[in-house]
Amino acid sequence: METAMYRSKWFLPGVTLVLFAGAFAALWIGGDPIGALWVVGVIVGWGLLVALIGRRSETLRGLSAGGRDERFRLIDMRATAFAGTVLILTLIVLWMIETARGHESNPYGSLCALAGISYAAAVVFMRFRG
Amino acid sequence: MAAGLSQGELAAAMSVSRQTINSIEKGRYTPSLPLALALARYFETTVEEMFDGDSHV
Repeated sequence: METAMYRSKWFLPGVTLVLFAGAFAALWIGGDPIGALWVVGVIVGWGLLVALIGRRSETLRGLSAGGRDERFRLIDMRATAFAGTVLILTLIVLWMIETARGHESNPYGSLCALAGISYAAAVVFMRFRG
Repeated sequence: MAAGLSQGELAAAMSVSRQTINSIEKGRYTPSLPLALALARYFETTVEEMFDGDSHV
């Protein structure tokens, strides 16, 4: 079900670090050094929280990918699906609102299409993968 | 749970969290086939005997 990449304990921390580095760079380049420092503060704070009380909290361990077993991976999958559903429904509603206001060239339609195509592609890929 | 064995000990033996063992025991989580087989082997019984009906770990 899962790939070797996801099995690595470094996958999620690595992706998180890259995303935060990207956010830091974007804010810094965009002329918002205070915002960039906030990004650093958030990731350092999160790291400290996990390091200090991560051993006692299954939720914190799971959120940091440090102690995920099969049950928590299932929880993670369901939570990801829930978050994706919320995001897609929000995009659809925003597209409707913007279109009704006469702003037909809004980005929400493209994002809805991207979500739909990604879903269909994932279904096809997983169907053949077994 | 078998007498004299804590959830933490069983969790360590199965390489899962104590909360996962607790969830299986309470019937809130159905383990994967590999974990069910590992549990059955650990307790020297069958998967059917362990998980059939209302009888959990």
